[in-house]
Amino acid sequence: MLESLQHLASGFTIATTFYNLFYCLIGAIVGTLIGVLPGIGPIAGIALLIPATFGLHPTSAIIMLAGIYYGAMYGGSTTSILLNVPGETASVITCIDGYQMAQKGRAGPALAICAIGSFIAGTIGLFGLVFLAPPLAEAALAFGPPEYFSLMVFGFIVLSNVTGTSLTKSLMMAVVGLIIGTIGLDPVTGDARFTFGSISLLGGIEFVAVAIGLFGIAEVLTNVEKPLEMLEQRVIVPRFRELYPSLQDLKKSITAIIRGAGIGFGVGLVPGPAPVIATYASYMVEKRISKHPEEFGKGAIEGVAGPESANNSACQSAFIPLFVLGIPFAPPTAILLGALLIHGVTPGPLLIGQHPELFWGVIASMYIGNFILLILNLPLVPLFANILRVPKKILLPLIILFCITGQYTVNNSVFDIGIMLLFGALGFLMRKWAYEGAPLLLALVLGPRLEVAFRQSLMISHGDFGVFINRPISMVFLLATVLFLIIPLIRMTFKKTLKGGG
Amino acid sequence: MKRFFTILFALSLIMVIPIHAAGFPTKEVQVIIPWAAGGATDLIFRALAATTGKYLGKAVVVVNRPGGGSAVGYTEGAQAKPDGYMLTSAVTPLTILPHQVTTAYTYRNFEPIINVVSDPSMFLIRSDAPWKSLKEFLDYARKHPDMITVGNSGAGGGVHLVALAFEKTAGVKLNHIPFSGGGPSVTAILGGHINAVSVSPPEGISHVQAGKLKILALFAEKRLEMFPDVPTVKEQGVDFAMGMWRGLVAPKGTPPDAIKKLHDAFKQGMDDPVFKKNATDMAVNLSYLGPEPFGKLMASEHEFFGKLVKEIKK
Amino acid sequence: MGGIVIFIFGAITVLLSIRMPIGTFRMAGAGLFPLCLGILLMALSGIFLLRFLFKKWQSEKKEGSPSEIPGSVMQVLFFMGAMILATLFFKILGYPLVSFLLMVALLRILGMKQWTFNISLSLITAIVSYFLFVQWLKIPLPKGWLGL
Repeated sequence: MLESLQHLASGFTIATTFYNLFYCLIGAIVGTLIGVLPGIGPIAGIALLIPATFGLHPTSAIIMLAGIYYGAMYGGSTTSILLNVPGETASVITCIDGYQMAQKGRAGPALAICAIGSFIAGTIGLFGLVFLAPPLAEAALAFGPPEYFSLMVFGFIVLSNVTGTSLTKSLMMAVVGLIIGTIGLDPVTGDARFTFGSISLLGGIEFVAVAIGLFGIAEVLTNVEKPLEMLEQRVIVPRFRELYPSLQDLKKSITAIIRGAGIGFGVGLVPGPAPVIATYASYMVEKRISKHPEEFGKGAIEGVAGPESANNSACQSAFIPLFVLGIPFAPPTAILLGALLIHGVTPGPLLIGQHPELFWGVIASMYIGNFILLILNLPLVPLFANILRVPKKILLPLIILFCITGQYTVNNSVFDIGIMLLFGALGFLMRKWAYEGAPLLLALVLGPRLEVAFRQSLMISHGDFGVFINRPISMVFLLATVLFLIIPLIRMTFKKTLKGGG
Repeated sequence: MKRFFTILFALSLIMVIPIHAAGFPTKEVQVIIPWAAGGATDLIFRALAATTGKYLGKAVVVVNRPGGGSAVGYTEGAQAKPDGYMLTSAVTPLTILPHQVTTAYTYRNFEPIINVVSDPSMFLIRSDAPWKSLKEFLDYARKHPDMITVGNSGAGGGVHLVALAFEKTAGVKLNHIPFSGGGPSVTAILGGHINAVSVSPPEGISHVQAGKLKILALFAEKRLEMFPDVPTVKEQGVDFAMGMWRGLVAPKGTPPDAIKKLHDAFKQGMDDPVFKKNATDMAVNLSYLGPEPFGKLMASEHEFFGKLVKEIKK
Repeated sequence: MGGIVIFIFGAITVLLSIRMPIGTFRMAGAGLFPLCLGILLMALSGIFLLRFLFKKWQSEKKEGSPSEIPGSVMQVLFFMGAMILATLFFKILGYPLVSFLLMVALLRILGMKQWTFNISLSLITAIVSYFLFVQWLKIPLPKGWLGL
């Protein structure tokens, strides 16, 4: 404990040298910019800038690249709130209430609460990293294919009904998402599925394309359908006084932020799409325990604060497996791993011992980086919020152009732009028929992993389904899923009998 | 409207901060990596591109074209203009995938330039595994066919086929579990969810150094410099050696003098001490081959995997 | 309406996955998982449709369709068309030209009647995004005709 604090202190001395502070700042700025542009996520951002770090000291390089990572995760929420375009997979949930807040002229508070929430979550995440990293990393290894499968099933059933309109409709959308997720090469046998001979489809459907399509493009199309006179309008412009959250907003958000940070930190340790699961989970929790659940989906500030905090702390705990085990659980950390290698640092169980200055320096810089992001972004809030002053007939084409450009940069693929437009049209129709996009996106992320985990488990167990209940962690998740499904039923029948009796 | 231009102005101010040195030569050489950034191939060629640029006189830019288990990138690479400005990184799957699915290319659509890296494959087990040697492992596998689980980094991928070929040579039957990449398969063995894992460096090497995993079987011609105490399987009586190679190719029809120029520059880039150090840190095994021997290597590998894939499909 | 489309989607999935190897649970083939999903989807949308019909039959209530603002479907189609064209010509024309032409077209569809303003705004946007993405972020966007 004390030793960790000493190390952390020395880390802060390393991180606060002028040189490292400078690169931390650059990383945070570039990250925010990359995050704000839809499509170019942290992965592309880090990959693009790795060559720029060749001449730097490894610690400075990683400080800068890590800054891009969390800066981008932070910036991703900006377009979600302002334009309903999720910049990153993790900011899909932020679209739901964030965009509603912006439509009501409360873009400022929504943006500001993201910065504040991320900072608080970052602080909590830092302490988690410092004191719990090694034991937690070991614990994460206990997740084998069966545990993973049960966790996914649990996440699926509990999280798919995000907006809570109709369970049947949400499940239908989730299954559609699962089916779309099977397109491409079968990860287990290597057969091509539903590709109709197309080479571009072999790699499957790109998640970002679906996300931007269903949310961003569909929103633009919905607006385009309105009569031309309405496009002359702008979104309600906030008055300056309303640019920052009120005391009441802060009061509402603070518990959501702390809960979100906790959820994010825990989920971030699990291999796979941690930030996505963490944000969905945080949103569901906030909605469940809220005293006014009817506000969710219509601009509840907790629905922005919780998931954004969860997102930030999930990113931080994603560094634990990277630094402690040398195994990247999330794609952006995979690129950081590459950057470490290029700089002559071999990540792995020996890293903390061999390069203490790097590990503790980067940890400390993450904290400083979060602080930089806070003071960098709060003044930017009015600037971003003012984007909504642009008349819609100019704003909408700009959104389209940025979506197309951003989408291309993800894989350098024109095909992906086509997919994005296809899902844009689909999302437009789904809105007309009142279907939700969020469950589909969740399923698209979780589906392939769910299938692989299921098949791996049965291959390991030679076809014995007992593998899912004989292992304690897996059983707990399955039990929780069953309880989640049964309790509302029991409640319903209980209520009915009560009514019948009365 | 004024606000809008203010924002544009602010954006253009941010753009002025230089991250890249401005004024690259207009005609840089691009290298397609058919996988996402961050994988072993991507790392190696990013490092090589960094040192080759100064010998070539023009920048070498790495472009990631992931998708379709590398089919997307190779298709584009094969169809590029054969002018030497669009190269592709050729890795073992180039000679595997065309046997498994219908692709628009084979290795014959490319001109070999240079082979850079060639890594032996290996089986890793946990240090606390019940088998002390390869012999014990194989004896157990013979007595309990299909019971030992061996992870790999993807169905039909390089290390999966290596494991299948080894199984055939050694006369045992193993239970192969595919994972989506080298990271997940190494995680699974660290957590004890599988018995062994088939990998190719740099995957898992750091855990061997840390003593958590050990090399059960090394499918190389000679011992590794990093682990001189680990015998190859050939020394232990199983005549088997196999690995992953990574080189560069250009589209068919690229003029020979362009190939020669590129080859010379990449060779110098390989010999650059900076790249050598990077390669050592990544624990990859540099193995230079000129255009002709590299072409022969691809041809023989293509034939070998063709037979292997046919046998598996039976 | 949506339910029917989804039901058909499920049916197609089932039909296509039957053609793939199904295998057993011990060694699942490529088609097993999509087959299960297709059946599940057909069941779900079936329940949904039946319930919907039942409700309709019970109360003769009209479908609670979301507010239909009298708008222009043509406008959406034009908008979509412009985007699809831009995508098709993305590689051939190159990014700077496509971004300019797309902006001009989209602005025009949304009722920007002053050509001078339209073109100058599109030009500025194209130039700014060119410098931002191509020059500064070094993203390999297609060069196309202009060779930029």
